[in-house]
Amino acid sequence: MRGLRVAVPKGAIFEDALAALEAAGLPVGVLREDGRKLLYRAEGAEFIVSRPSDVPVFVEHGAADIGIVGKDVLDEQRPNVVELRDLGTGACQMVLAAPRNKVEEVQRAISHAEVVRVGTKFPNVARRYFEGMGRQAEVIELHGSVELAPLVGLAECIVDLTATGTTLRENDLVVMDDISSSTARLIANRGSYRLRHREVAALVEAMQRNGNRVG
Amino acid sequence: MREKTPRKFSTTPGTRDVLPPESTRLLDAQARVLERFRLHGFREIVTPALEYSEVIEEPKLRDSAFKLFDPDNQMLLLRPEVTTPVARLVAQRLRNSPPPYKLSYSLPVYRRTGVGRGQSAEFRQAGVEAVGSASPGEDAGTIALLVDVLRTLGLRPGTDFALVLGQAAFYRGYLNSAAPGAASGVLAALADKDLVRVDEISYTLQPEVAASVREIPRLVGPAADGSVLERAGRYAGENEEAAAALENLHRILEHLQAVGCLDGVMLDFGLIGRHDYYTGAVYEVYASGLGFTVANGGRYDNLLRRFGEPLPATGFAISLERLVSVLPDEEPAPLVVLVGASVEATRTAADLRGSGVPVLHLAEDLPPAQAAEYARSVDAGWVCYPAPDGVKLAAADGGEPEIVSLEECAGRVLS
Repeated sequence: MRGLRVAVPKGAIFEDALAALEAAGLPVGVLREDGRKLLYRAEGAEFIVSRPSDVPVFVEHGAADIGIVGKDVLDEQRPNVVELRDLGTGACQMVLAAPRNKVEEVQRAISHAEVVRVGTKFPNVARRYFEGMGRQAEVIELHGSVELAPLVGLAECIVDLTATGTTLRENDLVVMDDISSSTARLIANRGSYRLRHREVAALVEAMQRNGNRVG
Repeated sequence: MREKTPRKFSTTPGTRDVLPPESTRLLDAQARVLERFRLHGFREIVTPALEYSEVIEEPKLRDSAFKLFDPDNQMLLLRPEVTTPVARLVAQRLRNSPPPYKLSYSLPVYRRTGVGRGQSAEFRQAGVEAVGSASPGEDAGTIALLVDVLRTLGLRPGTDFALVLGQAAFYRGYLNSAAPGAASGVLAALADKDLVRVDEISYTLQPEVAASVREIPRLVGPAADGSVLERAGRYAGENEEAAAALENLHRILEHLQAVGCLDGVMLDFGLIGRHDYYTGAVYEVYASGLGFTVANGGRYDNLLRRFGEPLPATGFAISLERLVSVLPDEEPAPLVVLVGASVEATRTAADLRGSGVPVLHLAEDLPPAQAAEYARSVDAGWVCYPAPDGVKLAAADGGEPEIVSLEECAGRVLS
């Protein structure tokens, strides 16, 4: 039987994910050798590197047994996977933000239950946030540079992820509300979690044992 | 360039036409499944594809159902599953005959699915329901039937598939007595398979309770080795509800052991079932190489109450398309293409069928090369032409034609 196949996200939490997997004893060295491959085979494990938002897709379908992905992506997609462990790394906040000079206007619109236009990469999160408050929003889905939307009048405010707030500050955007906080999570395919429980459980345990030193 | 096909002539998103040989495999599998159901005394029923929307109460199923309105402006659903319609049928139609009612079905169900998630809007479920008995022997009986079906279709327990068995009442019982305030939150998190959230909630509880709240849903292991049950027993302690659930699980496993069905059974105390209506033993079947469940089922003792007949019940549903996708490859069924427009050809075809040979009679006078091409297009292994006292037979993938008797022809095609 092949080793566990692990989906690793590109980008911000790539290094954190590698550290966590390394702490659990997986041979992640191959991933550092050649940054252009998509599929890496090593002794006892296989790694695929994908966009963060694709990690739950690979795992839900069983194309990867386990994966590492931010809670923000899980909140948005709500995939049918087992969420095993909070790695505690890659912390960031999902926030509602608006340009400094528009904050009061947006605040008033929301409190009067007027429809506000929201630019976001997380349409489901944004929709649930406004519905949860009993407020109305017209959600505009974007795939990058969400901060641009309120600056050019595409939206009045944004729902986006921020770690340090730098990008928001640079674009003169102000946080109006914290929606949720996110950290990296270890997820597993439902079938792999059962059929290969011994391996998966050993991995989680090793992460738990050694991960705290890393994190 | 071919003219672009108008969009409305394609199948709707999530649905598809099923062609041979896949359709043959699907219907063959269905026939073999139903045969095993009958062997265990389950009798088939057919329910309408349309139900009043009130029949289905489970929120996830209601949300995913296709909805439409009848002439009286009542909301109807295309059935998103069959268990609830069977419960309705039992409560309405069978109340004058003695329970238990052992019913089976194989019907398409319909669900709206996210486009791009690779899921079907229409798929077939074959399942059984045993309504009117709370005996753990019935739980074990349906589980054993499911294992029997999978084995019959060529899957090996433990190697090709695992049946994951949980007991929804165990964790619920433990929580209701040890941490009543947190129970609903923890169970909701577990239903979402979010063990991280379970942990988070546990940190608000007393340390000794918190450890158990975290550990019980992580109790997973083969049923054959008793250690998982033993550990669960320690958590149950003085808790009556949890102890009763564990006892029920012990009984089920005894029955399964008696019929040699314990191989490939995994226990998982974190499995509480995807629908709220499950009250006791719940199970899911996973096949290696497939990320989704092949079958799932369990005990639902409260569902019938809604329809005015408080009867305990248990059952399962197999997703036929997923099952077929994990079955070992099989040789295509034998078939011979008999070519000829003459009356003699018609008679020869009938004679061959009379000796049990599946014959596709092509009532045209087609030259051998074209006939062979046609035979390959319908997955037939042989082509033949009528000949005096027999047929001129050739393999569809080429080879010299030979004049053989009808008996010899039958022998070769069926071998």
